[in-house]
Amino acid sequence: MAEVALINVQKSYGHVPAVRDITLEIKDREFVVLVGPSGCGKSTTLRMIAGLEEISAGRILIGGRVVNHLAPRDRDIAMVFQNYALYQHMSVRDNLAFGLRNRKVPESEIDAAIARAARILSIEPLLDRRPRQLSGGQQQRVALGRCIVRNPKVFLFDEPLSNLDAQLRAQMRLELKELRQRVQTTSVFVTHDQVEAMTLGDRIVVMKDGVVQQVGTPLELYRKPANRFVASFIGSPSMNFMMLNVAAADGRFSLTGEDFRFEIPAAAAPSLGPRVGGSVCVGMRPQHIRLGKPAGDHQIGFTGTLLVTEQLGDEQLLAVRVGKSEIRIAGVDPDLTLASGTQIEAAVSTDNLHFFDGA
Amino acid sequence: MSAPATALATAAEPAGFFSLLAPGGKRVLFALTAVAVCLLFAFPVFWLVLTSLRPASGVYYVHRGTEFTLDNFNEVLSHELVLKALFNSFAISTLATVLSLGVTATSGYMLSRFRGPIPNAWFSLIYVFRCVPYVAWVLPLYFVTQQLRIFDTYWGLLLPHVAVHICFFSWIMKGFFDGIDPSMEYAAMIDGCTRWGAFLRVALPSAVPGLTALAILCWLFTWNEFLFALILTAHETPILTVVMAQFVHELGMEWNLMSATAVIALVPALIVTLFGQKYVLRGLRV
Repeated sequence: MAEVALINVQKSYGHVPAVRDITLEIKDREFVVLVGPSGCGKSTTLRMIAGLEEISAGRILIGGRVVNHLAPRDRDIAMVFQNYALYQHMSVRDNLAFGLRNRKVPESEIDAAIARAARILSIEPLLDRRPRQLSGGQQQRVALGRCIVRNPKVFLFDEPLSNLDAQLRAQMRLELKELRQRVQTTSVFVTHDQVEAMTLGDRIVVMKDGVVQQVGTPLELYRKPANRFVASFIGSPSMNFMMLNVAAADGRFSLTGEDFRFEIPAAAAPSLGPRVGGSVCVGMRPQHIRLGKPAGDHQIGFTGTLLVTEQLGDEQLLAVRVGKSEIRIAGVDPDLTLASGTQIEAAVSTDNLHFFDGA
Repeated sequence: MSAPATALATAAEPAGFFSLLAPGGKRVLFALTAVAVCLLFAFPVFWLVLTSLRPASGVYYVHRGTEFTLDNFNEVLSHELVLKALFNSFAISTLATVLSLGVTATSGYMLSRFRGPIPNAWFSLIYVFRCVPYVAWVLPLYFVTQQLRIFDTYWGLLLPHVAVHICFFSWIMKGFFDGIDPSMEYAAMIDGCTRWGAFLRVALPSAVPGLTALAILCWLFTWNEFLFALILTAHETPILTVVMAQFVHELGMEWNLMSATAVIALVPALIVTLFGQKYVLRGLRV
C-alpha cells in the first residue's frame, strides 16, 4: 500500500518529447486510469513508474521514496502486460512463484500465497498447466495472479484487456472491478478505451501528445470536460461540436451558425461573456438531444436533415445534417420510423451545452 | 461457329501445365519429383558405402563385383592417426559449438534488444566480416595462428571456427530473440531479476528450440569443415576431414580406405541430424 507521485516528469527520445511535464498524485489504494489515443505517452508514463524507462527530468515517488534511480525489481511494484508476458517455459505455479522465489520467500509461504491467489482468481485447476495451454482470459488471470501473490505496493496495468475479444473484455472488466474490492492496492491502469477508463477508474487522467488534458473522477470528466479533446474522447457516441459566432443583445447571447441561430439567456452561460464578437465551439452530447420543438426558455432548438439512422434495439442513433455540421442524436425511440431526408426538429437544454475555445 | 466457342472455353480454364493432368496427377508428379531428388542426393552416399565395402582391387568395378568385405573398416580403425583424428574432430566440433553458442546467444540478444553505439558497431563489424569470402580468411589466419603460437593446436582451430560461427549465426540468433516477446523479460525484471537474470532465466530458456537448432548447425559445420583444418593444422592435431583426404597420395589413391573413413565420419553426423532435425525445423520456423 502506497501513494505514487509524479512531479514534473518528462521523457524524450532524442529530441522527440514523449511525455511533457506530468505532475500527478495518486493516493493510497486509489485506482487511477491513464487514457488517451495511441502515442499520447500513457504507456511511457506507466513504464517510467515501473522503472522500465529512464525519466528525462522530474521525480517519481512511490510510498514517499524517490525511485528515479531504482531498478524495477527494487520498486516493489507488479505489472500486467498487454500480452500477459507469462513465462512460457514454466508452469502456471512456477510463474506465480517466480517473483517470490527471487525474493527468497520460504516455500511454505509461497505455497500459501499461490493458494490464496488461485482461489481469488479461480485458477486452481490450471496451476500445473503451461501458459500456452490456456485461453486468453485464463492467461490474463494468471498474469493478475502473478501480481497478487507478490503483494506489492503498486499494481501497474498496461492495456491488459485489449488482446481479449469484446465479450471476454467486458467480463474481465467486471472481474477486475470485483478483484479491486478484495485486493485493495494502489493501481495505475493504462488503456485507450474510454469505457474501461470510466468503469474502472476512481480518477481518470486524459492524455494527448504527452500532455495531461484533465484529471478527474469519471463523472467530472463526463459532465465538465476541460477542453474539446476530453469532451470528444469521453462518452459514446462522441460529443457533437458546432462552431458558432457569439453576439450579445438584451441580456441574451445569440449564437449564429450558417443558416440558423440560437438565443440563450446570459445567465445560463456566463462563460460566453468574454467571447462576444468572436466564435465559440459549442458541444452537446448525443444523449442530451431530444426530438421535437424546444419547450420553454431553457431549451434551444434546431432543424436539420436526417442522413442515416442506426438501430440498436433499445434505441436509435440518428445522424442529422445541421448547416455544415453533422449532429448525432442518441436515445431515439426504436419504434419510430424515419426516412432519410426527413426534416428533423430537435432541442437541447442550455444546461447541457458545453463551450470550448477554437476549432 | 465452333471455333470461337472453343477459344472461349480454353480462355475460361486456367491454362497451366497442371490443369492438363488427371485429378490426383499433380500429387503423383510431386511424389515422383521428390523421389527423383532424394535419389539424386542419396546416390553418392550409396556409392560411398558400396565402395567402402569393396576390396582394394574392386573399387573401380563397384557396380560389377560381388565381393564384399569389412576389412577396410578394420584397417582404417587400426590406424592411430585416424582414431586420433576422429577424437580431435569430435572434441573440436563439440567445443566450438559450446563456445559459439555462448557468444552467439549473447551477441544475438544484444542485436535484438539493444540500440546504441556499441550494438551498432558490433553489427557493422559482423556485417563486414560476413562480406569477406570465407576462403579469404584462411591465409591471414595461418599467419595469425603462427604469430600467436597456436598453430596446429586446438585453440588454433577453435578460435577461427568460433569467429566464423559468430559472424554467421549471430544473425540467426537475433531472429530467434526477435520472435520472443520482450515484455516477458520486463516482467522478470519487475519480478526481481537483473537485466542479466532476465536474459539467462527467461529469454534464454524461451530460445531453447532455436539454440538447439543452432547447436546442431554449428556442430555439423565444424565436423564437416575442411579448408581451415587443412591450412591451420599439421601433424600435432590431425582432423578427420584432412586425414580422409590423405588417402590420395603420391603412391596412389586408396578409394576403399577413404570411403571407409568417410562412412565412419558419416555416422556421428547422421545421428546428430536424425536426432536434431525436428529441432532444426522447429527452431528455424520461429
